[in-house]
Amino acid sequence: MVEIFVVLVMLLKLAVLVAVLLMLPIPLTWLERKIAAHIQQRPGPMRVGWHGLLQPLADGIKLLSKEDHIPDAADRFLFTLAPIITLVATLTVFVAIPFGETITVYGTEITLYLTDMNVAVMYVLAIAGIDVFGVIIGGWASNSKYAVLGALRTCAQLISYEIPMGFAVVGVVMLAQSMSLVAIVEAQSELWNIVYQPLGFVVFFIAGLAEAQRIPFDLPEAEGDLGAGYHTEYSGMRFSFFMIGEYLVLILLAALNVVLFFGGWNPLFLPLPPLIWFLLKVAFFVWLFMWFRFTFPRYRYDQLMTIGWKVLLPLSLANILISGVILS
Amino acid sequence: MAMAGKQISRWIGWVFFSDIINGLSLTLSYMFSKTVTEHYPDNEKWVPFERYRGHHFLNTDENGEVKCVGCELCAKICPCDCMEVVPYEDENGNRRPLVFNIDMARCLFCGLCEDACPADAIKLGQHYEFSSENSEALVVGRDALIASPRKAEQGGKVVKAKLTTSNGAPISEQTEDEGYDWWRNIRRS
Ligand code: SF4
Ligand code: SF4
Repeated sequence: MVEIFVVLVMLLKLAVLVAVLLMLPIPLTWLERKIAAHIQQRPGPMRVGWHGLLQPLADGIKLLSKEDHIPDAADRFLFTLAPIITLVATLTVFVAIPFGETITVYGTEITLYLTDMNVAVMYVLAIAGIDVFGVIIGGWASNSKYAVLGALRTCAQLISYEIPMGFAVVGVVMLAQSMSLVAIVEAQSELWNIVYQPLGFVVFFIAGLAEAQRIPFDLPEAEGDLGAGYHTEYSGMRFSFFMIGEYLVLILLAALNVVLFFGGWNPLFLPLPPLIWFLLKVAFFVWLFMWFRFTFPRYRYDQLMTIGWKVLLPLSLANILISGVILS
Repeated sequence: MAMAGKQISRWIGWVFFSDIINGLSLTLSYMFSKTVTEHYPDNEKWVPFERYRGHHFLNTDENGEVKCVGCELCAKICPCDCMEVVPYEDENGNRRPLVFNIDMARCLFCGLCEDACPADAIKLGQHYEFSSENSEALVVGRDALIASPRKAEQGGKVVKAKLTTSNGAPISEQTEDEGYDWWRNIRRS
């Protein structure tokens, strides 16, 4: 009886998580357009609903009703598979993200995370890496030069930046003496990791921007030189799968930054509920990413590689060294 | 020595992302500044300056008689050949236009007709919202030209307006006379 209940709660949490995550891109596209607009002194979408709030819904309906076009020369099976891989891989990562502490409902304790894996850090980095496959497969299956070039760039970029990203996390793992994200958050209840690991945070943040393919590292979809990158040939719902996937990666990175360096659900000044604190911090990071996007130009490809291999990688290694020396 | 000091301070700034922070603070200040967009056609509308060349109109004298004397000079000078004037003699023995058609779809709003007119009859006014779904509807006749809006008396401002339709085409209707100079939003001191 108890086991069934546990499984039911688990499934319920999963359903809520997936539903919320799939709905989130709707307000986020609106937010992104509004931020872009206000940085450029425009009001942004204004006509559909109050201050254009229903604009994403209108866009969604438009995307749904568009022709689902598969190019003649494309590999149909892989072409259909690629957006699904991207979306599923990204959704899977969220299983390990702790959103808050335990809450008690009708005398039963419910944890605000799906699993507390002891190798959560490894899991997150590894599964987030699967994302690349969707991109490569999508670019290759489209049989278009823009898509292939975009996919190649994405591939090179993601692989280069996964290394400093992984190394940047090592410092955090050393501090918490654990790879479980829950343990990492609990270890920060006194003082957040950002205080001990400023260098690690900078490396993680920059590498994260590159992983999410956001400006200034959005070479994979540089509109100017590639059409749209790996999803050039996609239209309608398949395209919006990639879009949703991109926004989910954005949320994921914000969540990871919060969990690893900004104390997860630990409150700062106000004693708000832990979940609220977590969401506030994630929202701040999402806003920060969007703010970055409309401030900076795009890096050149060689600059991208230089930053990844010649700057971030040595910095992340130095960070491990310094942390090790101080801790021992 | 001074050069080296400058170099060092640049490097220190670079390490602490000073240029990135400069850029971010600039965009942050813009993010919370007033937007400059004119909310056309929903809430606001631009009233053009007096010299603006929009939809034509035909002037009338104080008796309501059209001023045009049907000399066809405007039709001759028109570079687009978009005017058709057929004169007739009215009951007072004056030469007046029987037919006066302007094809707005072909007109390039050069204003030459206005310059050529000896009777101060044809003018280009302030009206600019006359989009249409078929080009036949853009051929405007004599009576419509007499009735169409004149030149703006106090132009060069943004006024309150609301979106309506006239003859099936959406237009933004001016609701208030008072307006503001749109450029005041653009110019930053
Ligand atoms: S404005 Fe120019 S193009 Fe238009 S009717 Fe007059 S002369 Fe012709
Ligand atoms: S509008 Fe002026 S130029 Fe044209 S026919 Fe009449 S009087 Fe002549």
